[in-house]
Amino acid sequence: MDLRQIWILYRHEVRSALRDRSIVVMSIVIPLVMYPLLLWGTFAAMNFVEGQAERLTSRIAVQDAPPAHRDWIDSLSGMGGVSVSEWMDDEASARESVARGRMDAFVRFESPPAEGAGLEQNFQLRVLYSAARDRSERARSQVEEALVLYRGAWIEGAREDLGISDPEWSGFAVVQEDLATPEEATRFLLALMVPMLTLIMVALASFYPAIDATAGERERATWETLMTVSASRGSIAAAKYLHVATFGAMGGLLNVGALVLSLRWILAPVAGPEGVGGGGLPLSTIPIIAVGTVLLGLFVAAGMLVFAIFARNFKEGQAAITPFYMVTILPAIFLQSPDIELTNRLALVPVINLVLLLRSAIGGSLALGPGLLTLASMAVTVVLAVTFAQWVMRREDVLLGSAGAGLWEFLRSHFLRRKGKA
Amino acid sequence: MNREPVRTQALTKVFYDESRGQVRAADEVTLSCSEGEILGLLGANGAGKTTTLRMLSTVLRPSSGKAWIMGHEVRDAPEEVRANLGFYSASTALYPKITPRETLRFFATVNRYPADRVAGRVDHLIERFGLGDYADTRVEKLSSGMKQKVSIARTVAHDPPVLIFDEPTVALDVLNAIELREIIADLRGEGKAILFSTHIMSEAEKLCDRIAVIHGGRILATGTLDELRETTGLHYLEDIFVRFAGARNAGSAERENAG
Repeated sequence: MDLRQIWILYRHEVRSALRDRSIVVMSIVIPLVMYPLLLWGTFAAMNFVEGQAERLTSRIAVQDAPPAHRDWIDSLSGMGGVSVSEWMDDEASARESVARGRMDAFVRFESPPAEGAGLEQNFQLRVLYSAARDRSERARSQVEEALVLYRGAWIEGAREDLGISDPEWSGFAVVQEDLATPEEATRFLLALMVPMLTLIMVALASFYPAIDATAGERERATWETLMTVSASRGSIAAAKYLHVATFGAMGGLLNVGALVLSLRWILAPVAGPEGVGGGGLPLSTIPIIAVGTVLLGLFVAAGMLVFAIFARNFKEGQAAITPFYMVTILPAIFLQSPDIELTNRLALVPVINLVLLLRSAIGGSLALGPGLLTLASMAVTVVLAVTFAQWVMRREDVLLGSAGAGLWEFLRSHFLRRKGKA
Repeated sequence: MNREPVRTQALTKVFYDESRGQVRAADEVTLSCSEGEILGLLGANGAGKTTTLRMLSTVLRPSSGKAWIMGHEVRDAPEEVRANLGFYSASTALYPKITPRETLRFFATVNRYPADRVAGRVDHLIERFGLGDYADTRVEKLSSGMKQKVSIARTVAHDPPVLIFDEPTVALDVLNAIELREIIADLRGEGKAILFSTHIMSEAEKLCDRIAVIHGGRILATGTLDELRETTGLHYLEDIFVRFAGARNAGSAERENAG
C-alpha cells in the first residue's frame, strides 16, 4: 500500500462527504447539537409546564366538614392555587361535575372505619377525582398533602397532651449523610449516559459515510471509475475505511465535547455550579474517552464497510448495515444497570468492554488491569475486523457487485460451496 | 520503446454462473494496438467486449492468458497498467459533489502524473475541452454534454499513452456522439493507442483503423475494413459481421449436435 495514494484517496472521500448534506447532518450536526438542544428543550418544557401549573387553580368542593376540622379546610385554602368551596348538592351531581371537568376534586368527610372509631373526632375523606385529567390529579395530590400536614399537626398536639417529650418522640431516628460531592453525583449520572450515547453517536456518524463510500459509489456509477485509477485495491479500501472511521470517531468526540460545553454553558447558569458538579467530566477522563471513542470508530467502520460493500444501492446499503448497527448498540443499552462492572472477562467482549471502560473512567472506578485488557483486546478486534474488511473488499466478485446479496451469501459461496465442490 | 502499447495473448475469462455453470466470457482473445491507432472491438451485446476491456484495465483478473499495457502485464503490475491507461465507459461516471477542476486534479494526482505539473495539466484540459465557465461548478449541476466533456478530460487527465473507450456513445444523443468521435480521432492524432468497443457498425467504419470482430467471447477476425472486405468478398461491415458471427454460430451448433 502506498501512503501517498491513501492520503489522496482519503482526502477525496472526505471532501465529497463534507459536501453531502445528509452526511454532514447525521455525522456532524446531530452529534454537536444534540445535547444543547436536549437540555434547552428539557428546560423550556419544564418551565412551560411549571408556568402552566402555576396559573391553574384547583377547584375543590368539600361536603359535610365537621366544625372541629375547619382548620384543615383553612390549610387547604392556604396552599396557594387552590379554591375551596362548600358543596351543597348531592354526590351524583358532584361526580358529574368532576367527570366533566367543571370541578377538579370533590371531598366528603365520612365516618372512620370501625377500627378507627375509638379515636375522638376521627374521620375519613372520600376524594372523587379524574386521573384522566392532569388538573384533577393535581387537586387530589393537594388534598392529600394538606391532610398529611393536618394529621402531623394533630398528632403533635396529641403527643403534647400525653406528655411525650421531644427526645422520646424522635426515638429510633435515621440521620442520613450523603458522602458524595455534587461532582461525584454528576459523574455517576454521566457514567450511565455518556458511554451509551457515545456508542450510538459513533454508529450513527459512521452509518451514512459507510453506505456512501460503497453502495453510494455503485449507485452513482463511480465505482468502476475508481477501480481504474492507479492505486492498489488495498489503498482504495484503506482510504475508504479511514474515511468512515474518521466520521465515526469525529461524531463521537463532537458529541462528548458538546456534552461538556452544554453542561458548563447551559446547565450551570440554571442549576448553579453545584448542580452540574463543577462542570461535567473531569479532565483526567478526557484522554480515555478520546481513545475509547477512536477505537469504537475504527471497529464500527470496519464492520459497517464489510456489510455495506455488497449493496448495489443506498436502500440495500441501509438494509445491510442496520442489523450490524442494532447488534452493536443493543448490548450497551442492556448494560445500563450500574451493578455490571468491567471485569477481566468482560474486557474481552468487543464494544461492551469499551462501554464499560468509559463508564468506569467517568465514574472514577477504573481498575488498571481490566482497563489495559480492554484496550488491548479492542485493538486486536479492530486489527482482525480491518483485515477481514480488506480481504472482503479485495475480492473480484465483491468489487464487481456480483458476490450475492450480502455477507452471509458471500461467505457461504466462498467457503461452504467451495468445500462442497472439492 | 513499445511499438505495440497494447498486446494480449490468449486472454481468457471464465465466470461461474449458478444456472449456466462455467461461462467463457472471453475465450483466448489475442489482439494488439499500436501508437496512433484506433482498434475497434466490434461485437453484439454479450460478445465479450466489456469483459476483455475490463481485463485490460485490470478491473477483472484474467483466468488465463496474458495482456500487456506499455509492457506491464495486467496481473503482475496492475497499478503500472492503470497508470498508463485511461478507461471510459457508460459505467464510469463522475463524482457529483466535486467540481471539474477538482475532478481533474484528483485523477491526475492519483494516477501519478508528476505533482509539480498537475496544475498546468488541469488548466490545459479545462481550456482544451472548453470547461472554463464551469470549472468551479459542482459536476451535479452541469448539463449532460458538459459532464461528457469532463468525463473525457478525466480519462486523459494523467496523459496516458493507452485509452480504452467501452461503448462510449451508447447513452449519447447524435450530436454528442459525433463530438465524442471527433475528440477520439484527435487523441489518435496525438499518438494514443486507442481501443474502442462498439456494436454500432457505422461508428466502427468511420472511426477505426482496424476492426476486431468478437463473438461468443472469441476474436473471429481482425483487419482493416478493406482487408475484411477482401477476406469475405462483402462490402458492408454489417454483412461482414453477420458472415463471421453466423459462421461461428453454425460451428457451435454443429459441435453441440455432434456432442
